[in-house]
Amino acid sequence: MNMARNLTRRAFLETAAALPALAQGQAQPKRIAIVATIFRLQSHAQHIGDRFIVGYPFAGEWHKPNTRVVSLYVDQKPANDLSGDRAREFGFKVYPTIAEAVCCGGSKLAVDAVLIIGEHGDYPRNEKGQILYPRYEFFEQVAKVFEAEGRAVPVYNDKNLSYSFEKAKAMRDTARRLNFPMLAGSSLPVTWRLPELELPLECQIDDALMVGTGESDAMDFHALEAMQCMLERRKGGERGVKSVQLIEGDAVWQAGEQGRWSKELLRSALSRSDNLKGLSVTDGRTQDMVGTGVLPQLVKNPWAYFIEYRDGLKATLLMLTDAVGDFNFAVKLQGKTEIQATQFFLSPDPNVTYSACLASKIERMIETGVAPYPVERTLLVSGILDSCLDSRVKGHARVDTPHLAVAYQAPRESQYCRS
Amino acid sequence: MAGNRPKLAAITTVYRKYSHTQQVIDRYLEGYGWDGAHHHPEMDLIALYVDQVGRDDLSRDRAARFPAMKIYPTIAEALTCGTGKLAVDGVVVVGEHGDYPKTPKGQVQYPRYRFFEQIVAVFRASGRSVPMFNDKHLSWNWEWARKMYDTSKELGFAYMAGSSLPVTWRIPSVEFPTGARVREALCICYGGVDSYDFHGLETIQCMVERRPGGETGVKWLQAYRGDKFWDACRDNVWPRELMNAALCRSHTLTPARAGFNDIFPSLDEMRGLAKDPVAYRYEHSDGVKCTMMLMGGLVRDFNFAASLEGEAKPFSTQMYLPMPDGRTTLANFFNPLCNNMEKMFLSGKATYPVERTLLTTGLTAAGVDSLYAGQVRVDTPHLAIRYRAPAGSTFWRT
Repeated sequence: MNMARNLTRRAFLETAAALPALAQGQAQPKRIAIVATIFRLQSHAQHIGDRFIVGYPFAGEWHKPNTRVVSLYVDQKPANDLSGDRAREFGFKVYPTIAEAVCCGGSKLAVDAVLIIGEHGDYPRNEKGQILYPRYEFFEQVAKVFEAEGRAVPVYNDKNLSYSFEKAKAMRDTARRLNFPMLAGSSLPVTWRLPELELPLECQIDDALMVGTGESDAMDFHALEAMQCMLERRKGGERGVKSVQLIEGDAVWQAGEQGRWSKELLRSALSRSDNLKGLSVTDGRTQDMVGTGVLPQLVKNPWAYFIEYRDGLKATLLMLTDAVGDFNFAVKLQGKTEIQATQFFLSPDPNVTYSACLASKIERMIETGVAPYPVERTLLVSGILDSCLDSRVKGHARVDTPHLAVAYQAPRESQYCRS
Repeated sequence: MAGNRPKLAAITTVYRKYSHTQQVIDRYLEGYGWDGAHHHPEMDLIALYVDQVGRDDLSRDRAARFPAMKIYPTIAEALTCGTGKLAVDGVVVVGEHGDYPKTPKGQVQYPRYRFFEQIVAVFRASGRSVPMFNDKHLSWNWEWARKMYDTSKELGFAYMAGSSLPVTWRIPSVEFPTGARVREALCICYGGVDSYDFHGLETIQCMVERRPGGETGVKWLQAYRGDKFWDACRDNVWPRELMNAALCRSHTLTPARAGFNDIFPSLDEMRGLAKDPVAYRYEHSDGVKCTMMLMGGLVRDFNFAASLEGEAKPFSTQMYLPMPDGRTTLANFFNPLCNNMEKMFLSGKATYPVERTLLTTGLTAAGVDSLYAGQVRVDTPHLAIRYRAPAGSTFWRT
């Protein structure tokens, strides 16, 4: 970085002063504690946390939330740790325990909101391939302070609640019991869509498919949650999942031949991709990968996630990393002849401006005390992923999921970014 | 139905990976994503002329895989398919990329005018003209561009031209508000002179042309580069508020400070990042002022902002190019460009006026002239170009 310079806090404030001024008579800034696994460049804690420290681009302005990060806990401090630098520059402390962070070193809850960002860092994987990020353990320590205090504040949990559905459910139950707003999940449900596609509330869905890219159990969660934020709008609301199955390899193509997932939906989803691989990389050409039949040769290890909902809807996630580099969704609504499809737009590194879309949702919860969309979405998707990975280790068997009878209503208002 | 499918000829400079020819012609041959389907244009590209065939040429591969498309050694033969008379229903001219000499002012002498003259010679000889699309600006040479435009009017064929920027996705997906009175407009983008400046100018023009009264042309232009650019920034020659709004639409804002991924830069920090900035500032005949800014090093996208009468905050958006420079593999901003061409070839009517591109062609040349003359203000009486924007929106929303 050729402009790497140590800007003082004062100089930063002068820069900020050139930006749109805070509204007159604005309330006291809300105090935020960040509880993170790791705070290094491009870690989720850095790029989401910094939105509340230096602001973020939103609706054509550099938006400075009326918040102040007052404390930080980081579980791991590798050589590229930035937590100390941030704390020094922006006048907050890094505390050695989570309890101290949410109490700012005192004995009482001293913040107005907590961001739990347990993504990235060096954690082991279990036999199902799940990275054992300690989100549940972080949450429990936060909730313990709330309980002792008899008072709770809003909590944001980044990504899935936990790798384990039982732990995830315990988190949601605690939030209910202690009666605090909780928001969770991925940026994908709230990022821009190309094109702007929202399913009408109470629509009837014949079939749905998401195609995504990347490794389990990081990127498949994003893909599943993006699909869920579309499907939850169907008639009757979300009532949960009856069974799941994860298959891989040639069985994925055979399932396509047998009509278990729709080639037409995949073809439509791929028509939204800006990141096809294979011959597009070789010589830049556009491709109809379903039409040419190139997928089985191109994709070394395809994974298909089948989800059967309690109301009978079936949906499929295909992770085709060797064929595609973005996340695209296709759906066939009842009574419509054409398939509709869209890309969930993940803007490039390093800005990852999609996380500004997410930050604005977190900010809204902190301001209003109401989560803009239900944490049950993330609870259900945490469970879908956990059970899919169970299916995989059980020889790709279908797994009944009576525990995933998670019911909720989608927000009436669209929550994805259109500004 | 097959008998009703228009036949097209493509006249191109070079057909290699990621050249504009590859992007446009491949979409006719291979199809492309449109409206949630893999779309094949309802027309047949039957003739191809390639001016330069290098070792990285793809035209031979394409002709072998799509035998309905024949390669011809001359433009006239491509248009006549060897019959001696015009044998196609539309012409696609893609004269971008390839090895061509530069003018003393640094303009690459892409042979779009030469191509055009040879095409209209066939039209004249055949006593019949067909719709033509010209990729990017009409010519690096204003007089030639004007002649191309005048000839299209004289022969009465549908003529369309320009960049993908006016027709690509916008993030957010907004159209310039109907009836809005614009005071100032600005685009912050990247790239070089006589290259991406044209895209930045088309970005601005496709928006401001929608103002009440329509387009009236441009009176003068002044370029700023290097120190003069930064002096002008400091002196608020163009509104800082619009710069800020445009930069807040970028998805590629280079972090000015180590350890941050997305942080708003101070003017000094911008100066450290944008090493060779260029601005073209110009005034329309009705007083609207516009600024096109190339700030490579700071951003790698095209961001538009305008101040509108009666609005406290600027109107802004990004014209989004999924750019295969590591961000994507497919330059799918060519999808809406091809789709607009197709509409013209099917209907015989341009979907947006070529006068837009005539004006931006003249602005590009005026920018080059101003830089060459030492960043002086140049009067542009020849750019008194009047036209009306299309009633409907033509950018990508489906």
